[in-house]
Amino acid sequence: MESALFYILSAVTVTGTAFAITEKHAVHAIVYLVTSFFALAVIFFLLGAPVVAIFEVIIYAGAIMVLFLFVIMMLDLGHPERARLPGIREWWPALALGTVTLASALALVVSRAPAISAPGKAIGVKEFALALFGKYGVAVEVISMQLLFALVGALYLARKR
Amino acid sequence: METIAIPAINFAPIMPEVILSIFAMVLLLVNVFVPSEHKAYLGYLSLVGLIVAGFTLIGGWGVPLSAFNDSVVRDNFSIFFKGIFLLTVGMSILISDQYFKREECNLGELYPLLLFATVGMMLMASGTDLMTIFLGLEVLSVSLYILAGFNRANVKSNEAGLKYFLLGAFSTGFLLYGMALTYGATGTTRVVKIAEYVSQNGVVAQNPMFVIGMLLMAVGFSFKIAAAPFHMWTPDVYEGAPTPMTAFMSAGPKAAGFAAFMRVAIIAFPSLKADWSDLLWILAVLTMTIGNLIALNQDNIKRMLAYSSIAHAGYALVGFTAGNAEGTAGILFYMLSYAFMNIGAFAIIVLVGKKGEANNNVMDYAGFGTKHPVLALAMAVFLFSLAGMPPTAGFIGKFYLFSGAIKAGYVWLAIIGVLNSAASVYYYLRVMVYMYMKDPVEEFDWMKLTPAVAICIIIAVVGVLLPGVVPAFLLNLAQQAVLL
Repeated sequence: MESALFYILSAVTVTGTAFAITEKHAVHAIVYLVTSFFALAVIFFLLGAPVVAIFEVIIYAGAIMVLFLFVIMMLDLGHPERARLPGIREWWPALALGTVTLASALALVVSRAPAISAPGKAIGVKEFALALFGKYGVAVEVISMQLLFALVGALYLARKR
Repeated sequence: METIAIPAINFAPIMPEVILSIFAMVLLLVNVFVPSEHKAYLGYLSLVGLIVAGFTLIGGWGVPLSAFNDSVVRDNFSIFFKGIFLLTVGMSILISDQYFKREECNLGELYPLLLFATVGMMLMASGTDLMTIFLGLEVLSVSLYILAGFNRANVKSNEAGLKYFLLGAFSTGFLLYGMALTYGATGTTRVVKIAEYVSQNGVVAQNPMFVIGMLLMAVGFSFKIAAAPFHMWTPDVYEGAPTPMTAFMSAGPKAAGFAAFMRVAIIAFPSLKADWSDLLWILAVLTMTIGNLIALNQDNIKRMLAYSSIAHAGYALVGFTAGNAEGTAGILFYMLSYAFMNIGAFAIIVLVGKKGEANNNVMDYAGFGTKHPVLALAMAVFLFSLAGMPPTAGFIGKFYLFSGAIKAGYVWLAIIGVLNSAASVYYYLRVMVYMYMKDPVEEFDWMKLTPAVAICIIIAVVGVLLPGVVPAFLLNLAQQAVLL
């Protein structure tokens, strides 16, 4: 079942991303991107990386996309004066993709398949943390500094003169 | 409660990075308390940081050491490149103060960002894990995007920053995708382990995923070293960026790109050497020829040096194609000499330029030789070295690169390189013709030679002429530093 789910979810991810690129309306594009992120999260779960799956949902589908939406609202690109509930013809692909993703996730839950498909065991939070702060300790430090300096740079470039 | 074993931490291999990071953060804090007319002191403080980092470098020569689960290494190769980076940044800082005062920019954020970019370059040179190399490149790139757009009042600088950001982010995607595919094919990101895995499982070398991974990584690195056909960003970014930052970008990140590219290609992909040598052959010819041909009819001197910088990446790629000890030692030597001659030339451009990036055309140098004979002589030395004339470091470097190619059997490549070098003489000499043979249009009375810029020019002249006359010492160091 895992391999079948993998191919279905991959198709969902690719289709969702393709819609996100071709969609003219920025908000619609973001909704498709979120759909593809959800499918990707389930793929990560299938591959034995539940922690990464959670991150994908919380950080990418959640935080970053909400940030995108806020920016679009702030920039007023979405024509809020013409806001209305979109007709089913506009959003059925997103609905279909989302349903497939949800069904796959439910199928996984119901069948209680251990989150394993690749050889090896599922990597939980503890193993993840040990690798992150042990093996990749220097990388974590570098990333934290990079965030600091990206912030400094963004402040410098965006500051009022 | 279960305890977690903290791995032993040895900071010695990344001591210079640690010191520069600390200095960068201290500078950020100190910056708040320094009034804007005294920001030059921050520059001196950052120079102190560079010198301290330099001292920690010297001790490691000949004593290889790796740490953090082999994700960083201190070997002669990385030390040589780190020396180039420290020099590049130091010289760029020396010419920054005058330029940014003239352009009325706030200098406070400049020095921390420059030091942080240096940390990124150093991680690229010393990283032995694809993750570390990638993070180093990202640290460098993010700082560079900001530095390219640092002159916020200038539209061209904004354009440079945005263009570099968009294209750079795109190329980073290629690099990361290549790394992901390589990891997928071999199951490791350590460059040494990749080679080990391939030598134990020979079939993987035929795996398309592995080969495409190498190719995509080559694209990402080629973008960073501005090799054709991934050079399109270079002219606009180099022209628009503040001149001292152009000087820095043309010498430092290019060397860092070569360092990471060489380590990955030579250590991780020796099994595909025939493939990447063919690839680099094409890249080298394209890069040299396109850079030199388009440089021929450039009037803006920064743009001309941008195309010339593309061509110089091509010369270095000749040595890389050869892949032997002479060729790779030639790259190390050439990157060092290129830093001296190019930053020297940019120091003169800073002096001759006026507020708002004006006076940057080749024609504006008319009569410079009669008005300022000493500075014009220095400029002539840099241009001769860029053209590859003896007795300058540029000549020795090219000689080693091309002779490495001949020894490896790439005679045609060396011939194309020499022909290109001959063609490049035209546009370097054109500046000299304007300097010495045209009547002065202007009095050059706005020029003000500050001690910092003078020191930078003196360092550059010595760095160009001394290895040009007695190259043995530096060549010896470069030969000890090769990866092979």
